[in-house]
Amino acid sequence: MTRDELQEKIVAVLVDEFEFENPGLTDNLRDDHGFDSIDAIELLAKIEEMLGFQISRKEKEEAMSIRTINDILDYIETIQAAHNG
Amino acid sequence: MKRRVVITACSAITPIGYGKSDIIESLRQGRSGVKPLRDDGLLTERIHSKVFGTVDYPIDYGFARKHTKTMGPVAYYACQVAKDVLADSGLDQDFITSGRLGVSFSSTHGSPTIQRNIYKTFFSKDKSEFSSIGAVDYLKSMVHTTAVNITRMFGITGRVVASSTACTTSSQSIGFGYEMVKFGMQDAMICGGADEYDTTTVAVFDNLLACSVDYNDTPEATPRPFDTNRDGLVVGEGGAAVLLEEYEHAKARGATILGEVIGFSCNNNGGDLILPNLDGITTTLRLALDNAEIKPEDVDFVSAHATATKMGDVIESQAIDKVYGNRPWVAGLKSYMGHTMGTCGAIELIISLYMMEHGFLAPTLNLETVDERCAMLRHVREVTEVETRIAAIQNFAFGGVNTCLLIADGRS
Repeated sequence: MTRDELQEKIVAVLVDEFEFENPGLTDNLRDDHGFDSIDAIELLAKIEEMLGFQISRKEKEEAMSIRTINDILDYIETIQAAHNG
Repeated sequence: MKRRVVITACSAITPIGYGKSDIIESLRQGRSGVKPLRDDGLLTERIHSKVFGTVDYPIDYGFARKHTKTMGPVAYYACQVAKDVLADSGLDQDFITSGRLGVSFSSTHGSPTIQRNIYKTFFSKDKSEFSSIGAVDYLKSMVHTTAVNITRMFGITGRVVASSTACTTSSQSIGFGYEMVKFGMQDAMICGGADEYDTTTVAVFDNLLACSVDYNDTPEATPRPFDTNRDGLVVGEGGAAVLLEEYEHAKARGATILGEVIGFSCNNNGGDLILPNLDGITTTLRLALDNAEIKPEDVDFVSAHATATKMGDVIESQAIDKVYGNRPWVAGLKSYMGHTMGTCGAIELIISLYMMEHGFLAPTLNLETVDERCAMLRHVREVTEVETRIAAIQNFAFGGVNTCLLIADGRS
């Protein structure tokens, strides 16, 4: 999946399932969209579903520093690369 | 400190309608909300009782995801009726978030729909099913899920009471809320209860031989409180809330006063957890009168718990007779909608308020031949145009918990 394709998928999930309005790639998820820790856990479950493998506990903890949509995309690319590697 | 506690808003989602006009219409038309038991794909097939007091009409909740993400179906009912009472009350936002408004609200189980989904994963061979247990499933299924979803949605920062005591859940909610306001801990409380569609409750009562099974083909003909041919209770669903407010506070802001809670009692039978207990119930009714400082002859209407079980109705009739004789009118409102479990006390209180305001009493539905052991009471047998000033709402629960709420009409 290219970065653009991934971005399209994640933005669609945020709009359709997390009720984001006009999300920007550098918006602060919490301040601009009210995205909280519960949402983060739920998004990780969606990402697991999308990737087709389980994200480890350590990787999930690393996700807690995510602040923007760009961070989400970087995160997914990193764990995907680690899994494939 | 003892302060007067008035009711300044109420709302109910019931099997016979949502809101005052729908509910009154159903009561006047003798319309039942008991329908065929819906299939849950799990237990329904094995349950003998095939009837349920069902909320089957659409409700326009309009809640945003930021709120619904922690809500199971039971919290939808709870937040909807809470939203209604806050809107109808006219309370301003500063007061709502001041810490002087609290919430006394609960349900019998939290959300059984969510709990069922969790249990299903226990039996799955597929390890990935485990991750289907959502991060928020606990928030949706915990016993105080209704109360705290209400506080979260409206930014309420006062006390939270979430007393879950089966069939006395919402009558305790109202009673404990009344005491919070009466003794000055809070100036207002949103009180009530909710329970969602749930077949595990039906299965439990079914296995205890307490559920109605003879009217599966004619759901509207059951339950039949006080009737010779009653054969048990019918489980139901719904949500109901009242806003209790300190009288001077309500008066100062020009609020409409719908009624007043004048007394509350709660005790325990101190023994068996299931069987109705004449001494325990009789004591509760007397304690409520003492608490309100009124005499038995002051009570015009008794909303009986009257679940239509074989023994429960007889014991309750004896208790009413001992305390009141045959002066007050008596009706069993579960005859219209079944037993809405944790919601029943709040729904029955709200219906009693509606009937006081509109000057009528609805009869016990399906009461065709009064059981001779219940015949000493003054049953409401048809829609009766009559002014009532004080009503008693009594409820009894598994665990031997008994409650009685006494309310006066808003004009008093």
